Amino acid sequence: MPDPQLSARGTVEITARLAEVPEGAIFKRDLYDYAAILKYEVTAVHRGEVEPGTTIYIGHYNPWKPRAEAADKKVKGIGGKLREFRGGELHRMALEVPMDECYLGGIVDKYFGKHDGPAYWAVWTDPAD
Amino acid sequence: MVLSGTLHADDTAALAAEVKKKGWIAFPARTDKGDWDLFLMRPDGSRRRNITNTPDANESYPLFSRDGTRLIFRRLARGEAIDGNDYGRQGVPVVANSDGSGAKALGGEGELPWASWSPDGKELACLSLKGVTFADAATGKVTRSLKRSGFFQQLTWSPDGAWLSGVSNSFGAAWSVGRMDAKTGETNAVSTTDNCTPDWFPDSKRMILSNRHASDVALGESGWTQLWMADADGKNPQLVYAEDGRHIYGGHVSPDGKYVLFTGNPQEDGDPANGGAPMALMRLADAPVIGGDSAVLRKLHPNARSGPVLTLAKGWEPCWTFHEITFKQ
Repeated sequence: MPDPQLSARGTVEITARLAEVPEGAIFKRDLYDYAAILKYEVTAVHRGEVEPGTTIYIGHYNPWKPRAEAADKKVKGIGGKLREFRGGELHRMALEVPMDECYLGGIVDKYFGKHDGPAYWAVWTDPAD
Repeated sequence: MVLSGTLHADDTAALAAEVKKKGWIAFPARTDKGDWDLFLMRPDGSRRRNITNTPDANESYPLFSRDGTRLIFRRLARGEAIDGNDYGRQGVPVVANSDGSGAKALGGEGELPWASWSPDGKELACLSLKGVTFADAATGKVTRSLKRSGFFQQLTWSPDGAWLSGVSNSFGAAWSVGRMDAKTGETNAVSTTDNCTPDWFPDSKRMILSNRHASDVALGESGWTQLWMADADGKNPQLVYAEDGRHIYGGHVSPDGKYVLFTGNPQEDGDPANGGAPMALMRLADAPVIGGDSAVLRKLHPNARSGPVLTLAKGWEPCWTFHEITFKQ
């Protein structure tokens, strides 16, 4: 049974495989909040206009934290049950797009210049394996 | 605690005498009551005086209007710590005469974020998730807007009014410094190695900024933040001041373009949640200056001087006007 938070939040809901965690994309830095752009292969679309099988790029806020602890006074309303990002794992996520309309802050994008179109913003992230 | 970029006391004394009558510096600092108030002092550190005296509130981020007659700043609840990344949108925006008198809130909590004066003092450029907005400085009413194009903090309007600078996430580094055309919204990168606290030279053609310079990180140093200047199109980057063991932030160029103010702190964010950092002042003609032992830095910049650097009181994000402020007793 999917987490009801997934269907209640965002405008897009997908299951997708995290392609990798690029070196330097996720680090602990207490004084500076940031979002990291991670690459996903979409395996199922539950809600919204995304094509299964496509590659999309998703921004996760302070990805070194478990999703349940990621929200703070600057970025509210995000969460989930995922504790750690590992390449190859499946995540079920509620998303918003474009990320720029949801998030104001530093972005670590190891795919900079390698992808077109807006990045998605991870609102809720659960493991789906 | 002193910044250690000074060679000889005589040189420092000469620098102090040189700047003593060159207007006023405004800065937030912690008071003996434990709150943060705004202070004015002469650039040599003399005639320091508290201009807000609000023990129930914290004040931060003062910016003089370009003519030096007014200040805009943020007023926070006493219990709210100043956030080194968010200070421009904390609390309420307040406008006052530059001696601190006539203080009046210009909006509510979080409103007019990162407000920066237009050259004539009639408008404020602001930055939020919704974009760059331009507001009437008398009423706070928004008159026009631009896409923010990745800019997310520390917006500053150039002295000639043609440009905005800010920290941006759209140039491939998490914290780049960018320049935006204030009419069209077009942007260019100024520096793309983890940067912050950009500000303008008076000619609006160059910028001062803090920079976690890649060469030092590559050499195995911890990456202490350094003060750099560059043309606003990103060309001709030059080191201004660096010191291993201190992060250099809050660069602010004097109205005549001859000097620069900054803070130097062992804490990565400038430590606004605690006591702030010692402020300092140096001649731009003396740049580059390297403080302390800084062996690797000295190898990288063999022609750098060791000073003089005038160490000032603890504070945070200082600004400077040549306007002669008179105080009502």
